[in-house]
Amino acid sequence: MRIEVKKESCTGCRLCEQICTICHYKEINPKKAAIAIEPHFPEPGIFEPKICVQCGICAKECPIDAIHLEGEAYVLHADECTNCGICVEACPFGVLYTHADVPTPLKCDLCLKCTEVCNTGALIVVD
Amino acid sequence: MDGFGGTTLRINLSTEEIERTPTDPEFARSWLGARGFVSKILYDEVPRDADPLGVDNLFIVTTGVLTGSFCPVGSKVGFGCISPATNGHADSSMGGHLGPELRYAGYDLIVMEGIAAGPTYLYIDDDTIELRPAGDYWGMGSLELEKRMKKDLGDDFQIATIGPSGENGIVFSCITHDFGRQAGRCGVGAVMGSKKLKAIAVRGTKSLPVHDLDSMYKLTYDIIQRTKTHPNMAPWQKYGTAFFVGWSNERGCFPTKNFQETYHKDWEKIDGERLVEDCLVSDKACFGCWMNCGKYTRARIPGKPDTYQEGPEYETIALVGGSCAFTDINHVAYANHLLDDIGMDTMSGGSTVAFAMECYQRGIITKDDLEGHELRWGNIDDFEHFVRMIAARRGIGDIFARGTKGAAEALGRGTIDFASQAKGMEFSGYDTRWYPAQLLSYCTCDIGAHHSKSWTITTDIELGRDTIEGKAEVVIYLQHIRPLFDTWSCCRLFWGELDVTPEEHVDSIKHLTGWDVTLEECMRVSERVWNLNRAHFIERNGGPGRKFDVAPARHLDEPIPGGPAEGKVVGRENFEAMLDDYYANRGWDEDGNPTREILDDLGIGYAADNLEKLGFLGKPIPGGIPKVRGRELKPKAM
Amino acid sequence: MVIYLRSGGKLRDRLKPDVDIYTRKVEVEGTPTLEEILEEIGIPDGLVAFAFADGKVRRLNYRPVEGDVVTLQPPVSGG
Repeated sequence: MRIEVKKESCTGCRLCEQICTICHYKEINPKKAAIAIEPHFPEPGIFEPKICVQCGICAKECPIDAIHLEGEAYVLHADECTNCGICVEACPFGVLYTHADVPTPLKCDLCLKCTEVCNTGALIVVD
Repeated sequence: MDGFGGTTLRINLSTEEIERTPTDPEFARSWLGARGFVSKILYDEVPRDADPLGVDNLFIVTTGVLTGSFCPVGSKVGFGCISPATNGHADSSMGGHLGPELRYAGYDLIVMEGIAAGPTYLYIDDDTIELRPAGDYWGMGSLELEKRMKKDLGDDFQIATIGPSGENGIVFSCITHDFGRQAGRCGVGAVMGSKKLKAIAVRGTKSLPVHDLDSMYKLTYDIIQRTKTHPNMAPWQKYGTAFFVGWSNERGCFPTKNFQETYHKDWEKIDGERLVEDCLVSDKACFGCWMNCGKYTRARIPGKPDTYQEGPEYETIALVGGSCAFTDINHVAYANHLLDDIGMDTMSGGSTVAFAMECYQRGIITKDDLEGHELRWGNIDDFEHFVRMIAARRGIGDIFARGTKGAAEALGRGTIDFASQAKGMEFSGYDTRWYPAQLLSYCTCDIGAHHSKSWTITTDIELGRDTIEGKAEVVIYLQHIRPLFDTWSCCRLFWGELDVTPEEHVDSIKHLTGWDVTLEECMRVSERVWNLNRAHFIERNGGPGRKFDVAPARHLDEPIPGGPAEGKVVGRENFEAMLDDYYANRGWDEDGNPTREILDDLGIGYAADNLEKLGFLGKPIPGGIPKVRGRELKPKAM
Repeated sequence: MVIYLRSGGKLRDRLKPDVDIYTRKVEVEGTPTLEEILEEIGIPDGLVAFAFADGKVRRLNYRPVEGDVVTLQPPVSGG
């Protein structure tokens, strides 16, 4: 199971960013989300949701194995993470995010909340 | 303070002093946000003789209580000032992402005074606030500049800009953001330009404090799931507002050739279906909105570069497309881009060009006035040339830079009769001659003619288009409920379209702030704002109030010449009778002046004192003021 | 034949839904236009901006077919 992005369907509303931080940090702060919407304007005029594809490279690169495969998601364990930044550098998709107030990288744990609120089919769950 | 960014900024552009104060909880509760904040601050602080484009006017950027929260949908930001178009209170809002970004940077409200020494932009990156030189940006188009600033500062900054129009004080200049969202009305862009403020750039990385996040989450999550399957969701997502063009034509209220006619025979060439089929690039939503009514489009006209723009939406199609009699959606979209980039409101801008086109049709202006060009109905090259004359204030463009009222006053020759405006601001995209409540709505509107404060086309249909009975009370109700969304600073469309109730919005406020607030309390705030703005308008312009509630002669006397509404006209007697009814139901006297009793009742007795000094306090009404002002129309009125 | 009309917003109270909160089952004879059907069930055509069926916009001269689910879009102001 993973989240597939259909960028042509994204409208840039960032509801996914909002719900991500509500569910993970009990805060409303889109900048803390583990998903980001990249706008490409004025041309070609499309949005590109950028979210972890669960490839596992970050887990392989993590020097202290703080990212564990749990079910189908690679989950970053905040209590183990030293915030060394190696995973952020290693991510080939640039989808491990950081925020000054959060002591670990922001990584998608496949909770799927964003797919529940997306109303345009831009984020869909696939097996 | 839960629910707020927490900080109010005061910026003196002349001295470059920046003052941060905690947002006052009592002020926030009493005025709720955006439109309410603007109303109170302008009333208290702007000298009554201040020139709207002068040093004493204020320029306010403001969020409302719901901005940036998890609700349906807190995407809005408001701008306020004394309007150069009306010389009264101005509030204009837009969606996009700027309002939420301000909240996440920690700011609820920014009040700017003075005038910067040179071109400047306001830079906000969380706690860093700077007034930066904008000499390199001065003269650039709004859209062009946003692209440039995104490049200079980063994509994660939210940016609002003005174009050359705002720099040059054209009274219908707008503020643009997110490549196509505008605070279009009231000339807020001209006031921003008069302050030498070219742009605002904001990045915020903080969290919005919420009183009860679990309840807010549950409420809105359930609303999202419920409205996803609402029958009107899918058509709305697909077409947005542009689809009402056909309906408006069939109802005989589509402005055509500067409101000479109300049915555009080629409407199918400029409606939403053509837009979506021929021009759509992508659907575009404001922050946190799952309804995505924005349509991002590409216009293709042989011999011209392709343009990318958001829209045109209904109002632009009506007032550029219909009123200037275009017959190709690509031309309307191109004109939309032109006006956006040059920084003009497409509504008043479209209307002003249409008004000039009628002047040209009548021979009141000629090629000699137009640098050898013509100004023909539906001609995009003529349209573009004239818009550029206005933006640069070249020749006769300087006259039309004042809007239709200002231009008509300069031109004379009876042109004021076909300037479709009220208090100096142009009508929205609905003709009123078969819709008397809409005429009353425009002419009593506190910011000048605008549908956002009261839109009654369906109300007129339900109550009868040929009667004025019962209309005033409904207009008053709408003038309180609709601007409430501008005050809360959230989108109105979930209410009108998707059955999200105002009570649910109030629940969002409760969860967000912890306030024990009710819809009744909010409606009182809205009525307080309406009355304070009325007092302010009278104080600035002299009274009695009735002398400003004036309808253009065309809409009173000139029967519609053909189409579904052929022969319809409101008539002076009917209009005056509606005004009488309206004043009585508001608790104002027959001269349209608010009474002490109503102002006291709303907690703004100080406005009564000021009106009394000027001799424009309403005479006491025999039997007292009405207990209930405004009547909700069942079934639900919009 | 049977068709289903759906709406929310301002039109819902007029539509008198009976299938679910938005949907009304309507039995019609022959192949009338939407406009005729609306008149029959007492909805002023001025309160319907356009209809939407099968993912496509339909004007009020559209003739629904058996089993059609037609959404009625109420006009709202905006833009």
